[in-house]
Amino acid sequence: MESTFALLMQGFAVAGAPENLMIALIGCFLGTIVGLLPGLGPINGVAILLPIAFAMKLPPESALILLCSVYAGCEYGGRISAILLNVPGDAGAVMTTLDGYPMAKKGLAGPALSMSAMASFCGALVATVGIVLFAPLLAEWAIAFGPAEYFVLMVLALCCLGGLVGDSLPKAAIACLVGLLLSTVGIDSNSGVYRYTFDMLHLQDGIPFIVIVIGLFAVSEVMLMLQQAHSGTEPMAITGRLMFNLKEFMLAKWTMVRCSLAGFFIGVLPGAGATIASAMCYASERRMAGKDHQFGEGDVRGVAAPEAANNASANGSLVPMLTLGVPGSGTTAVMMGALTLYNITPGPTLFQDQPVIVWGLIASLFIANVMLLALNIPLIRVFVKFLSIPNWLLVPGVAAISMVGVYAVHGNTFDLVLGTLIGGAGYVLRVMNFPIAPFILGFVLGDMMEQNLRRALSISDGEIGVLFNSPIAIGLWIAAAAMLIGPRLLRVAENRRQRPATV
Amino acid sequence: MSERILGGLLLFVSIAGIWIARSFEAPFSYEPVGPRAFPILILALLGISAIALMLGKASHNTVWAPPPVLKRIGALFLIVLIYAFLFDKLGFILATALMVIPVARFFSGSWKQAVAGGIGLGVGLFILFDRLLDVALPTGLWLNKLLG
Repeated sequence: MESTFALLMQGFAVAGAPENLMIALIGCFLGTIVGLLPGLGPINGVAILLPIAFAMKLPPESALILLCSVYAGCEYGGRISAILLNVPGDAGAVMTTLDGYPMAKKGLAGPALSMSAMASFCGALVATVGIVLFAPLLAEWAIAFGPAEYFVLMVLALCCLGGLVGDSLPKAAIACLVGLLLSTVGIDSNSGVYRYTFDMLHLQDGIPFIVIVIGLFAVSEVMLMLQQAHSGTEPMAITGRLMFNLKEFMLAKWTMVRCSLAGFFIGVLPGAGATIASAMCYASERRMAGKDHQFGEGDVRGVAAPEAANNASANGSLVPMLTLGVPGSGTTAVMMGALTLYNITPGPTLFQDQPVIVWGLIASLFIANVMLLALNIPLIRVFVKFLSIPNWLLVPGVAAISMVGVYAVHGNTFDLVLGTLIGGAGYVLRVMNFPIAPFILGFVLGDMMEQNLRRALSISDGEIGVLFNSPIAIGLWIAAAAMLIGPRLLRVAENRRQRPATV
Repeated sequence: MSERILGGLLLFVSIAGIWIARSFEAPFSYEPVGPRAFPILILALLGISAIALMLGKASHNTVWAPPPVLKRIGALFLIVLIYAFLFDKLGFILATALMVIPVARFFSGSWKQAVAGGIGLGVGLFILFDRLLDVALPTGLWLNKLLG
């Protein structure tokens, strides 16, 4: 415990360096803007800024601080458009529209925004404390994992994400598998064999991670934005008081605490993530409120619950990424890709090998959230201005900035063309409801999965039973199967149960 | 229908991929599992999933945009592709301006806004990245010649 505290203080020393504070502030500001723009969420923000951070030759801890503060900022920003436009700025803010927009219509936009900022802060703070308490423990436990256990753990992560998202199992499976397949392109590091390079020089080192990320989260996003080009609704004006009053705070305080805790634990589970956390917390708070509530018509608890849960789970999902090296969501998969760009392998040894980076990152989450709270309450009117950026300027801007990042990393147009082609394919897949998160997770984990599988089988001299030998591995296999099939069985059961009632 | 076509395509990819993977052979090897096993495992699973996708219930939630919108999305894709090709040949400023103008028009900007946006983004982002943030961007051959 003592040493955790000392390490955390060391982290604050890193994150508190003037340069890194400045970077965190810029990240918070940019993140809030990306979050509030409908159509762009945390994954787009992190994806677009990642190559730029890399090209600016930021040291790894600064780059991670930038990405983390953007990530944290996006979770704050999503609520602004949810409340003022009735359009969630990112997927986690869907539930915030339910009570946020009615509150704005009643002229309570100010309190809705400040209450949700407070709830976001509470959620993020609880989750960051959670990271400090649990992450080192988990890392210590995971150090006992051998390559076989690691391989199965990654299978579990893919199954979790694949089981929970998307409308059909084959689609989720295909998304995972195509991601894994693309990760095999390039020279095999063990044997020097060229795989699927088709004699193209640029493919020898594999498909760059940045190219995939920009293709999927910038190019295809731009195409989707043209498809969904929404009619320009005017944001609600903020009139009257900006701050929530004591009565509103007292009403929502336990909601915030409960949803923060629940959100954190949901976030730690791979696959679940912010959308599910906010939906579950909103539903349970609504049920707990009994008769005396205005949920759906502008209850402060209705904005506090999803925002606390959303932010807590966003931060919680950093836990499996940092401690196990197995991200549980699309955005953390992109962040893990960022770490690997710097030749840092996340995983249990990260806490021992790179304490500066890990604890600097955790400390920067604390700092970023304080900054975000400070930015989001008094400066809310500044952010609202960004809601009126017209799409005709925003969309080409996003396209140009994405290309800048990709070009800056390797300096060739092959990457740009490849990224655009991947984006086109990504657009088709997204329209067909293929989930993208399992794809990116598959691509990020592919190499590690193969390496661990081969290492495990080398140790056992090719005997496949090694994958099922240890109790941990068996437990993980069972969990993987359950996660793959469980949610769908539950859904079927739910439909059965509801049918007699509705017909 | 879209699912069937894509499933067929993926099945083809998985068969072709396994065919290619047969030649992945390490000249000398110290490990029981070579470079071939993992791709073949993935491709086999992909093939199975592709068949499941083809045989599965046709879902009706694939909603393609109406043809005029789809045409514009296709055009947008082509513009970005051409932009990617010309990025270093024309230089960042000119290529960006030429990309922004039609894209801005697609998102219902007026001609005036589109042209202003194109020049503004081209020059503005160049100054921001190349000059202020030290992210090198191509100036383009033509500009290099002009500048001597």
